[in-house]
Order: sequence, then C-alpha cells, then structure tokens
Amino acid sequence: MIARFRERFELRHDRARALKRQGTKIIGCFYGLAPKELVHAAGMVPVQLVEDRDARYEAKSGLLPFLCGMSKNLAGQIAANVLDYVDGVMVSTVCDTNRHMLDIWVHQRAFPNQWLVRAPAKDDEGAINYFTNELRRLAGELGAVSGTPVTDDGLRKSIALFNENRALLRRFYDARPTAGLSAEDAVYVFASALTSPVEEHNALMRELLASLPPGAPGSDPKLMLSALNIPMAVDVIRMAEKYGATVVTDDFTHNARYGSTAVPADGDPFRALARGYLRTVPAPGLYSFEDRAARIRDAMERAGARGLIYLIQLYCDAYALEYAILKERFDRWKLPHLRLEAEATPSSIEQLNVRVQSFVESLV
Amino acid sequence: MAEPDLKSIQKKVSAGASYRKIVAAAEAGAPICVASAGIPNEVMHAMGVCPIYPESLAAISAGIGKAGEFFDESRAHGLSNIICSYTRCGLGICWASKTAFGSIPRPNIAITDVNICCLHLTWWAYLEDHFTLPTFYMDMPATTDPGAPEYIDYYETQIREMVAFVERTTSCRLDMDRLHQSVRSSDLAGYYWKQMMALRRHRPSPMSFRALAGQILPLVTALGDQDAADFYEALYHQYLADAKEGKTPAQGGETYRLIWDGIPIWHHLQVINAFEEKGANFVWEPYTSLNWGNKTSTGRLDLDRPFHTLAEKYTNVWNNKPIAKRFEYFDQAIREYEVDGLVMFSNRSCRPMSIGQHELVQLITERHDLPVLIFEGDQADPEGFSWADARTRVDGFIEVLEGRKQRGRQR
Repeated sequence: MIARFRERFELRHDRARALKRQGTKIIGCFYGLAPKELVHAAGMVPVQLVEDRDARYEAKSGLLPFLCGMSKNLAGQIAANVLDYVDGVMVSTVCDTNRHMLDIWVHQRAFPNQWLVRAPAKDDEGAINYFTNELRRLAGELGAVSGTPVTDDGLRKSIALFNENRALLRRFYDARPTAGLSAEDAVYVFASALTSPVEEHNALMRELLASLPPGAPGSDPKLMLSALNIPMAVDVIRMAEKYGATVVTDDFTHNARYGSTAVPADGDPFRALARGYLRTVPAPGLYSFEDRAARIRDAMERAGARGLIYLIQLYCDAYALEYAILKERFDRWKLPHLRLEAEATPSSIEQLNVRVQSFVESLV
Repeated sequence: MAEPDLKSIQKKVSAGASYRKIVAAAEAGAPICVASAGIPNEVMHAMGVCPIYPESLAAISAGIGKAGEFFDESRAHGLSNIICSYTRCGLGICWASKTAFGSIPRPNIAITDVNICCLHLTWWAYLEDHFTLPTFYMDMPATTDPGAPEYIDYYETQIREMVAFVERTTSCRLDMDRLHQSVRSSDLAGYYWKQMMALRRHRPSPMSFRALAGQILPLVTALGDQDAADFYEALYHQYLADAKEGKTPAQGGETYRLIWDGIPIWHHLQVINAFEEKGANFVWEPYTSLNWGNKTSTGRLDLDRPFHTLAEKYTNVWNNKPIAKRFEYFDQAIREYEVDGLVMFSNRSCRPMSIGQHELVQLITERHDLPVLIFEGDQADPEGFSWADARTRVDGFIEVLEGRKQRGRQR
C-alpha cells in the first residue's frame, strides 16, 4: 500500500504526461501559497514543482550561484525539458527567489502560460477584498486556458476536495507516531499529495488510514524534522536513523503546514479561498511566529519527539531568518534543536554526518 | 531669493546630521520609528515621526568600515551569513542599540514595506516580535504591473492606514497642511534629483557615481524636509555649473561612459574611483535614476492628491517590472547617455536586483555591441571580496574598451 505513494511521487512526470495525453491540462504551482483549488475548479490538475535529485539539473540551470538549490534544480529541469507537460505555471510569493524566477520564465517563455498570484501579506478586510478580486481575475484567465469557466459551485466542490485532503493528512499525522511506518515512507505520503490529482490522493489516503498497521515504537531518541527540500530531508532521515534515532514526525511546507487549516466552506467561495490562504499557510513573515513555534512544539509533544532538526537549504534566506526568530523561543522552552544548512547535493549533505551524530548522542 | 549655499545645507542633511536629528527628536519626545527605505517618508515627516532606517545605517556602516561588529552581533543571534547583509547589519544595529555614530534611542514603532524585498516582511516581523514593537506593514502584493490603477488604489489605502496606525500608537496627528508642505518639499527634492540625472547626458558628465552614492542619502532618509529640497536644488546648480565648465571625475578626461547596475559596493566604493582613474565615468544607473526621486508618470508629485501621488510613486518599484520592461530602460539609457559599456554588480545579498541580470545582459548585447563586466560580491559585507582581483578586472575591462575605441578610430 505505502509503496503506491512513493511510486506516485517518483513517477510524477510520467503520470502527468499520461494525464496530458488524455486531454487534461497540467498547471505547475511554485509553490505552497498557490491556490490549487482555483486550478482544479478550472478543470485542470495542479502539480507542485519540486526538486529532483539530479546534479545535472543544477549545472544546466544557468542561474546565479547564490540562489537556492531548489530554484536552480527547477531551472535545470526546464532546460532539460523534464517539465514539457506543464501548460502553465502559477507563482505565489514566498521569497524573492521564487517570486523572481517567474521573471526569468516569462523571459524564456518557459511555459505556455504564467501567472503571478498577487497575494497581500495581510488578512484584514481590505486585503481579503483585494485578494478576492485577484482570485476572480486568475479564475477568469485559468478558465480561458482550460475552456472550463470557474463557477461558484465548481470552486466550492474543489475547496471541499482539498479540505478533505487536508483533513486526511491531519489524521495521518495524528496516527503516524504509533503506526508501523518508516519516516521515509511517511515523507512520500504527503509528497505525493503535491503531485497527484487530489481525488486520487484522497482515495489512497482513505485506504491507507483504514489499513494503517500499529507498529512497534521506534528507537530513541525520537526526532521531528522541519524541512523544505524533499530529497535533502530523506537524506537527513537516513542519517539520523543510522545513528539510532527515529524521525517520528515532520514539518514540510506542505504537510503539517498546508494541511493545518481548512479553507472556509461558507459564503462566496472566492472570498472563502482568500480567507483560507492569507496568513494561514505558514511561510516566513506571512504567519505568526508564535503560532509557528507553538505548532512545532505541540507536534513534537504529540509525537513524543525529544529533538528537532531544522534543515535549511543553503541560500534560502527566508527560512534562515525564520530559524533565527524561532530559535529564541526554542531556547526559551529548552527545546533541543539542531540547525543544519547545506546544499541539496549528496556531498554537501554528507558533511552534516558528524553534526547529526552528535545531536542524536546528546539526546540519548 | 538667494540660492541656498551648498556647503551649509549639505551639513544639515549629512549622515552625521541625520543621526543627530534622531537623538534630538527622541530627547524632544518625538516617536522613533524603525522604517524600511521604501515607505512614504513624507507622511512620517508631516506627522512628526522620526525614522531610523536600518538599511541606510548598514550602508553607511559598511561605507566607513564599521559594520564588522554588527555582523558579529547577528552571528551571535543565529543569523546565517546567507541572509542579506543589510538585514544582518541592520538587526545588529538594533540589538546593539547603536550605530557607527553612537547609541540610538529605543524605537517606539516600526513600519515597513513588504514588496521591494520579501525579507523586509520577515525582518520587521522579527523586530515586532523580538522588541515587542507596534509594527505596521505597508502591504504591496507582488506584481508585474505596478502601474495598475487598482494596485495603486490598494496602496493608497495602506498609506491612510499607516496614518491611522501612527495616530493609534503615538500622540502624533496628521495635519493636512503639513502633509501638503511635506509633499511639496519632496517633489522639489525629487525634481532636482531628476534634473541632476539628466545633466549626466552632458559630455563629459560632471558627476561621480561615488559622490552620488552619498548624495542620495536624503532621498532615502529626509524626504518631506525642506532641507532636502534645498540641498538638491543647490547641488543641481553646482553640477550645472560643473557641466558648463566641462568638469568630470574621469581622470585625463571622460574617455568611456558606463552604466552601473545594482547597489553600490559600499565597503569598497573605491571600485568606482578605479574606473575614474582610467578615464571611465558612470553616467547612468537604475539605482540612482529609477529607484529614487519622483517615480510618477509625470516626474512630479501631484500636490492636490497627496495620498494618491505618494501611492503612485512608492508602488513604482523597479524589481516589479518584467525583464523586457527593464531592458527598455537600459536600451533608452544606452542611446541617450551614449554609453560604451556596462558593469553589472551581481549582489549575493540582493536577489531581487540580481535575478534577471543575466537575461538582461543577453537582451542588451543582442541589440548593442557593448562589453559587459560582471562583479560578484555583496553590498555591505566585505567577506570574500578581493580588492586586488577587482582592480585586475577593472584594468582588463578598460583594455577591452580601449581596444574597441581604437578599432573604431581605425574604421
């Protein structure tokens, strides 16, 4: 069962191409704040653009050396035609690099369609009004590309489907610490949500939750991993396990965070979507630090984790600054944590070995 | 009325003077606001709020070689070196409660923009969180069309909300007469700045980019203040006289006219002099010509609609323009300023200014047969910067320019 999540993630390009052959349009989302419900309501499939572990991509990217590996990797994938199935890309700002990658993609005509989500940084009435209008504008443009206009009813159905996905992911994270599931497998449960049609992922999740076997508790110390880059995270999980630790829960941009808050289901669905995205998806500066730190602490408590690894991709200034802010609270709470900062390459990650080992040993 | 005397007015708007104004304002009981450089200073000035600009202070600290202790402070607080050096140095200044000139008063409020650079949002959220400062965010969503009417309208509401925030958190109140006066002064400062930039079309251009890098400060920190308007008026007249006399900072005469793209390298401003020593002069930069001054469609501020005109000005952000639009500005400047070459500063601290430079160079070199020199480094942190390497690059670039000149003469 669990292998099917991994397969869906690892074969995401092939599966997307198969969908495209059937006439479905695919829209790339870069990244967590892009309103996928809108794409879905326009009859298209939103897929998250995520990094591949392949050094050739970074070499092909042609980007500045001091940009994060994720952007370089994606630029390399585009140069290598890996994303040839993407009919359009929707960029929602999390950091300067992700926002300005759009400038390059527009210049290169990398995708047939490009949209910048003009999302306010606030969530007051003025911001919600502005964003509601922006979502209506985007819906019009998406509908023009797909040929399926976004209707209120259609958008309500899409919101309900993605809310179901969020609820299923929440249930999964509640069950995960005591389930017989490896940390690496758990990563693919949410990672596949980023790249699969939501109906398909919901069905898989229901099946998984109905059959999740209870497992023996993992070895101590138990850890939580906060990360962004999926291949890097898998490397660090393996490294921690090598030294006897178990990663019992994690916090990526898109699992605990994306799944944490449902989009309101009442009233005007565009307005509901605006309320559901503004300052509710944890991203640096766009979310309360108090809440963010508390969520990490609470998730650790629920999962029985004694230490936190906060993994930053090199040159990701947004999360590097967020860490410095969260650190003050972690220190105050005496929450053991380890900040790791590395390039998303095997050789760079290998250098983290000693630090992970000593952190694990400090918790034993 | 006699023209203001440049030397005496310059003393009123210098970096040291702006520091002394902060101290005096705090002693007089005025609220001190930690402000980012992209917010309407005119409104704060009209309301009697005294701003502290961490980015300016970081640039000044780097320029006089006194940023080291602030970087050390930021490292001690867990800030990675990959974070923007303005942010690291600016936070270091806040933690240390002092600048390169002396101690600074504790701020009362904080206001930032959220679009010129995404890091501003997190940076000010940190200030709000760590120093428990009432903080206002001038919301300006990311866009590729900053001139859209609804976009300007949204920002206009932000300016009005900023006024409400200041009135809520301090004893300051907005007096519309003072706002009109403040916008009038700002308009004049911006107008004379624009006139100065136009003077650089003159052959030779009378201005040094190094001098301008310092002279730009009041546009960042003192807009609304009549002193700033007087300063730029006097400076314009000085440069006008210099242009008439054929003065130029380029030694031996202005042989090459160049464009600089990016923020100045504050810790090694002598890089600019290295060009000037070889007869090369910078005559246009997006940083000086497009980032500051009256960035409205008319080039003037509309004194009858102060909120709207400020909204139009502050939403006109260079980084929000698509690469094709940025190219148009370069293309026009290359022709109008008769440019011989480009120097691009690939700045690892400022991703918004650096991403797209490579693509811009491609477009420029496709249309104009110009040599391009790319520097990689950091605006405020000298770590990893080699002066000897920089000089070698400058020398090599000048040789390329000279070779082209000679081939041009032979034809």
